[in-house]
Amino acid sequence: MTTPGLTEVLLAAIMVVIAIAVARYWRLPVIKDMAFGSVRAFVQLVAVGYAVRFIFDIESPWLIMLALGIMMTVGAHAAAGRVKDIKGSFSICLMSMMIGSLITLATMLVFKIISFDARYIIPLAGMVIGNSMNASALVIDRLASDLRGNRLAIETALALGKSWREASQKFHRDAARTGMVAILNFLKTVGIVALPGAMTGMILAGADPVEAVLLQIIVAYMLLAATTITSVVAVELTIRRFFTRHHQLRIDR
Amino acid sequence: MGATGSILQLCNLTRRVGEGTPARAIVDDVSYSFDSGRLYSIIGPSGAGKSSLLRLLNRLDESTNGYVKFEGSDTREFSPCELRQRVGYLFQTPHLFDRTVRDNIVYAQPDLSESKINRLIQQVQLPSGIVDAPVDNLSVGERQRVALARLLATQPEVALLDEPTAALDPANTEAIERLIGSVVKDCGVTVIIVSHSPQQVVRLGGEAILMVEGKLIEHGDALQLVKNPGTPQGRRYMNGELQ
Repeated sequence: MTTPGLTEVLLAAIMVVIAIAVARYWRLPVIKDMAFGSVRAFVQLVAVGYAVRFIFDIESPWLIMLALGIMMTVGAHAAAGRVKDIKGSFSICLMSMMIGSLITLATMLVFKIISFDARYIIPLAGMVIGNSMNASALVIDRLASDLRGNRLAIETALALGKSWREASQKFHRDAARTGMVAILNFLKTVGIVALPGAMTGMILAGADPVEAVLLQIIVAYMLLAATTITSVVAVELTIRRFFTRHHQLRIDR
Repeated sequence: MGATGSILQLCNLTRRVGEGTPARAIVDDVSYSFDSGRLYSIIGPSGAGKSSLLRLLNRLDESTNGYVKFEGSDTREFSPCELRQRVGYLFQTPHLFDRTVRDNIVYAQPDLSESKINRLIQQVQLPSGIVDAPVDNLSVGERQRVALARLLATQPEVALLDEPTAALDPANTEAIERLIGSVVKDCGVTVIIVSHSPQQVVRLGGEAILMVEGKLIEHGDALQLVKNPGTPQGRRYMNGELQ
């Protein structure tokens, strides 16, 4: 494979044309999304490419932190957009993603598994934040839906003198697990069903496959920690929106 | 009604809901005193605020104005968990946790002895062999009895029953009504039941309270209130003009 340039990217756009042709033949109502999404992905990725190159060249810790801050804010905004009906969803997403991602990255730095270089931090943080983003949105959505759908069960427990935490405990666990399903499935199937992105990228870039695998294992462990912490924090922050301090379920009837 | 023996006192109790200005009052300035060890029925048309009032009594909901006193103390001074064990609540459609009858009965009292479990099973007139049966196999009437046994397991001083017979056939309704009577007489529990049926209120006896549009309209002896209501709204309700 040659190092890709603009010509190769434009040629690869043939895939988009094929996909749109198939969608059009089957009258799938996604043609606009496909076209718009492809152009948007091109613009976003090119912009990110130049931005990351700029960060790599400057190599300023402040710039790296600014980049992380922007990534988390945009990620939290995207995650909150998927759970719009929960009050304060943006702050829940942002807090849970920040705690999950920062604890994970900080641990990696403390143990000197990665160094504080933009070349490592930015792509790894991107993966960690992306996974935390999905986990937080899934957790909030599942928890809210379970609490709303199990109102009678929860109020029965409350009416029998249980605390809000006891009355909703089952739903905490189910929601946290939902946030972790993707990474747990990934760990089960990695290397067998699919070759993950970081590893594939390194191999395509000419790295030794064993080195690529070792990095991928590190990434997988990071993602496991980040999604677990994010999921648990998201549960803790979300559940408080649904109960008063007097152990009353707060769902509009 | 004097304050002597009063177990629950409602003082200007109001709950408003909604975004309007002013928000709609679903319980509107209700003051009343419930005496210990008696049976009370709250009746009224749909949307009268009967169930909403009941929910305020054990703080499943919060009042907007006014307060409730339990044994002379503001219920806000109790921990909600303690209050709810002493002022129990039975929902119209009981939720049983997805386990056995025994697990449900001991749900709020994990240390309940075997003899107490058996006594409760007997008290709610369930067959003794049912104790280890999964709740999935129970009929609607049996489910309601298990829920009642679970409530009684906490030894409440007040039992709030929200239309406990609404989903039952006449035979089960009669059995549950008898049970309610025995809970008051034999256990000395104050029972406050929401009912949509004046006939049931007469069968149960005790005191009756009529609510319309969130307000307490009148109260008195159950038979007297149903047969000879003292207010125009009471007469309209008993004549079936308010539903």
